[in-house]
Amino acid sequence: MKPRRALRRGAFTPYLFLAPGLVLFALFRVYPLLEGLWLSFTNARLGRAQQTFVGAANYLRLLDDTRFHVSLVNTAYYTIASTVPILAVPLVLAVALNRGVALRTFLRGAFFFPFTLSVVTVGLTWLWLLDPVIGPSTYYLRAAGVPVRSWLADPGTAMWAIIVTTVWWVTGYYLVIYLAGLQDIPRELYEAAAIDGAGGWRSFWSITMPLLRPVFLFVLVTHVIGSFQIFGQVFVLTNGGPGDATRTVVQHLYETAFQNFFHFGSASAMAWVLFVIILVFSLLQFRLLRGHTQY
Amino acid sequence: MSRTGRSWRAALTALMVALAIVWLLPAVWVLVTSLKLTENIVRVPPEWIPWPATIEHYGEVLFSSSRTARIGRAFFNSIVVSLGSVALVVLASAMAAYPLARMRFRGRNLVFGLIVGSLMIPNAVILVPQYVLVQRLGWLSTYQGLIVPEAAMTFAFGVFLLRQFFLTIPSELEDAARIDGADPWQIFTRIVLPLSQPVLGALAIFAFRSAWNDFLWPLIAVNKPDMFPLPVALALLRGAYAAESYGPIMAGAVLSALPLLIVFLVANRRIVEGVRVSALKG
Repeated sequence: MKPRRALRRGAFTPYLFLAPGLVLFALFRVYPLLEGLWLSFTNARLGRAQQTFVGAANYLRLLDDTRFHVSLVNTAYYTIASTVPILAVPLVLAVALNRGVALRTFLRGAFFFPFTLSVVTVGLTWLWLLDPVIGPSTYYLRAAGVPVRSWLADPGTAMWAIIVTTVWWVTGYYLVIYLAGLQDIPRELYEAAAIDGAGGWRSFWSITMPLLRPVFLFVLVTHVIGSFQIFGQVFVLTNGGPGDATRTVVQHLYETAFQNFFHFGSASAMAWVLFVIILVFSLLQFRLLRGHTQY
Repeated sequence: MSRTGRSWRAALTALMVALAIVWLLPAVWVLVTSLKLTENIVRVPPEWIPWPATIEHYGEVLFSSSRTARIGRAFFNSIVVSLGSVALVVLASAMAAYPLARMRFRGRNLVFGLIVGSLMIPNAVILVPQYVLVQRLGWLSTYQGLIVPEAAMTFAFGVFLLRQFFLTIPSELEDAARIDGADPWQIFTRIVLPLSQPVLGALAIFAFRSAWNDFLWPLIAVNKPDMFPLPVALALLRGAYAAESYGPIMAGAVLSALPLLIVFLVANRRIVEGVRVSALKG
């Protein structure tokens, strides 16, 4: 039997190891989450020392806040419209890279590189590329006979410019994830399919796609969680304009809390509405895609 | 391999190389612009060779006395914040992951479940209360006001990643050390951490990238121009210059990309491995 002192000291050891991390975690993750929920039921403002409970008033006000509705619609539009390119572009590149292409490490690195940049750097890059007067894209598109407009100043195209920018930014990240998923698919399956006479196209749809289902789920959930929080690209490229055509939820939240009204209660209510939407979407995707992954 | 197979592969390689070059063109254009004389930047058709080349834009953004365009100072701030946050998150998550992987104690599953569950909390959702907290602590516009929240954002991921690795360390190594009289802290620092260098490196790079590139939090947590990290200073640089003087803005963009580009060139494989583990072991 161990001496009692050692036993007692040993019993505390795990908690001593955990302590610094748990303090950080409790203070900067758990507490703000709950504090935010409380704030959303108060009239808190920047600089107001005391806040009073106002019930669901902040949530009820959101029902009348048309700019919030616009920002929700824009965010949903962005999320849905960007889903197909963000699922498909990295997948196509990954499947191509997985077909015994030479220079794989270099190619993967080239596509991954934009992901190492900050959203501001990426935004400034595309701002310059898409400059309606002197940007190179304007010149080359005009030379190719494409009618050129000011992509970022046109309400019909501004969101698409943001989507193109985002696809350029994050494709490399998802490409690496798809590549890893592709490498986990046993080669024998393709060999067996080839013996049975299946062509490349057929084995892509019958083997690759079904076996990549968990990877799709991860990419989709990650993308949707990120998309609902889109802010940086919009801030740099359009600042929500033209008009409110690209105003997003987080931008509206940011302006409500820190630029126009300093209304923390109202902004916290928006944050929780956003949180619930993200949770519901994530759970839905898990439900839809989780089954049938056993092979 | 058959001849058709080989030529098909060569064609695919050529196509992918062409695509990769097109993919990098926006970044090349930024670099080219930053090296051009101001009067050449606006030339149409676009010139892809910056000749005569100049580094005046770099000098301007690095040493400018303008209040908003102090990229040199912002670069220093970003280095301090990113390194500080890397040190904090690597230490805190390694210490937390170790007992979660290798010890039995009451509440272990609950703690781990809470930490992993917190990965579902969107950063934007806790923005306002985190601001209130940091303000109460008197940390607005300070290094700790950036370092600690950035570390907290990466902590859950770090615990998850490191625990995954610690689980694979053979327990014989710990047992041997224990018999030699080593206490848990010695086992952790002399056996577990040295064995974990690759995964600690992957976490460090991941944490550096997220702290270096974060924009939303420093945008609200810092209101003194001297304390701006790079992304905030860059975003404001755009307003500091007339619409068409892209030279200094692009020089700032290149400078902001440099540290991670260097890390990336040196540790390409490790970064990719980090991304892979983070995604698929989930």
